[in-house]
Amino acid sequence: MPILFYLSSAVAIIATIMVITRYHPIHALLYLVVSFLAIAMVFLSLGAPFAAALEVIVYAGAIMVLFIFVVMMLNLGKETAAQEKDWLRPAVWIGPGVLTLVLLMEMSILLLAPPQRNVAVAVVTPKQVALSLYGEYIIAVELIGFLLTTGIVGAAHIGKQKKKSLHRFLQA
Amino acid sequence: MSELQLLSLLPFMVLAVASLVVILLIAFRASHTVIQVTGFIMMCLVVLATWYVKDTLPRLVPPLFIVDGQAALFTGLIIFSVLVVGLLSYIYFEEREENPKEYYILLFLATLGGAILTISQHFISFFIGLELLSVSLYALIAYLRTRNHAVEAGMKYLVLAAMSSAFLLFGMALIYMETGTMTFPGIAEKLTDGISSPLFLFGTGAMIVAIGFKLGLVPFHLWIADVYQGSPSPVTAFIATTSKIGAFAVLLRFAQTVNLHEYPLMITVFSVIAVASMVMGNVLALRQQNLKRLLAYSSIAHFGYLLVAFLTGSKAGTEATIFYLAAYSITLLAAFGVIVLLSTGDEEADRIENYQGLIWRKPVLGTILTVALFSLAGIPLTAGFLAKFMVLSAGVQQSQWPLLIVLVLTSVIGLYYYLRIISTLFATADRPVNIPGPRHPFFYFSTYAALVVLAGALCWLGVFPGMVLQGIRSFLLLH
Repeated sequence: MPILFYLSSAVAIIATIMVITRYHPIHALLYLVVSFLAIAMVFLSLGAPFAAALEVIVYAGAIMVLFIFVVMMLNLGKETAAQEKDWLRPAVWIGPGVLTLVLLMEMSILLLAPPQRNVAVAVVTPKQVALSLYGEYIIAVELIGFLLTTGIVGAAHIGKQKKKSLHRFLQA
Repeated sequence: MSELQLLSLLPFMVLAVASLVVILLIAFRASHTVIQVTGFIMMCLVVLATWYVKDTLPRLVPPLFIVDGQAALFTGLIIFSVLVVGLLSYIYFEEREENPKEYYILLFLATLGGAILTISQHFISFFIGLELLSVSLYALIAYLRTRNHAVEAGMKYLVLAAMSSAFLLFGMALIYMETGTMTFPGIAEKLTDGISSPLFLFGTGAMIVAIGFKLGLVPFHLWIADVYQGSPSPVTAFIATTSKIGAFAVLLRFAQTVNLHEYPLMITVFSVIAVASMVMGNVLALRQQNLKRLLAYSSIAHFGYLLVAFLTGSKAGTEATIFYLAAYSITLLAAFGVIVLLSTGDEEADRIENYQGLIWRKPVLGTILTVALFSLAGIPLTAGFLAKFMVLSAGVQQSQWPLLIVLVLTSVIGLYYYLRIISTLFATADRPVNIPGPRHPFFYFSTYAALVVLAGALCWLGVFPGMVLQGIRSFLLLH
């Protein structure tokens, strides 16, 4: 259904614009999750459920992990709880919430609508993806491994601090 | 994948292993010297491997790669540049950062990216190669992160390169939408059926943005001067040679396979870019007081010249581009080598005043820099002259008169600023400059010797190019 495609694309664009205009990283991350969900919805509306699932698991899942990290690192007691409350005022979450609601509505429409028989959709199964990745594109997969190494080494070097600062658990 | 196909990928595997070896050496706390020497040996192994598999070429490794003579030439050129860059890095980083080891991992991974570009015949390998190159360069440019300009340069490159990757992906998506395939030969096959479609042309246009960015062509040149100035000198040499050779190799392969020269619109686009690069590059360099920035602007102009040969689309044009790239890499490596040797721990020798009277203070380095600048300007008896001559003759065969006229006129402008530096080199030094003694004698003198060899190669290529040209031709026949 083309209308669903355009609607989720619009959500993706709005969410991405909100990501780059937020000043607070946590707020930007909230919109980023929405943006990834919207792209997953784009895939779903085009008849690619596997790609949609991957998009949710890999990208949106990664952002959730980031969230947990931030909460874990900054969890210093009562004042952080107050700070978290301050971060998540209704004004902050209402925007991403509305956008996600739109996506949820779209998905329910897509799932509840009667299946259309006149469109021929070739379903790509995980097995097919795996076979082509580890078959003819195996070198590409290996090269992406090197690409990740590059990212890690670069980030580790740029982010390395001269002063050794131990985590509070290790300070004894 | 058959045994022969694996064999043809041997040089690239050795290259990939080189970065892993460096990681292991760091894990075992090997010293900088050990890493440097091992890296040097690994690069020599890559060259040997390339030589070893030469007889089995050309070999198709579907769907991603094609290893042929042209790819071997470009890979050889890339590895040669990295050998010299690696040598320059030792002295440079030993004096600055206490931990220069990760640098070599990134350097070899970036080289792998460049080498992958030369054998790509598929959008996926093209993109992965380009990303491998860019991601390593982000970190390499900002490697000395405590310096003022480094982080700024890295940030500029990061934002613009990410933007250009977006263009590249969008262009690839459009072409895929039109043709339904991502291999270059597949696209060519689909295109012969129909006439040139707007989607294909638009997609190619978006890809030209990305490639133009990597090559630093006008109007995608905004990053080039700041990045050249801000990054460590060996990294600048790397960007100027390896990264650009890789990007050019893939552009050449794409153009040859899909016959880009048959599309009048593409010819017009490339001609406009070439003219703009030649004019802007030379004009912007005129009043530069910083040698690294000057070399940045001159590289814009040089890649404009290179596009003239590329635009011919003929065999002579391909030969000319490869010879041009070889001559240009040698020249730039020699020039950056001099900059590295003159730089001290806390000051980059990049202002032109640093070079006043160099020829009287350090005759050998002064002579090397003079030869390099002569070659850049295209003075006879240097490789630069012959390279430019080959570009001109390839252009004349295809009667591209407007482009050739611009090339000649802008070369004359270029002569002015190269000669300005040379006259500075010969001026009397008005202030005594304290020159640091060699702190790492072995590497200092091997770098010195390498630079002398490079300068010798420039003159030799300028006088007796026959052997090299013969070699290039014999490699190009393997396709």
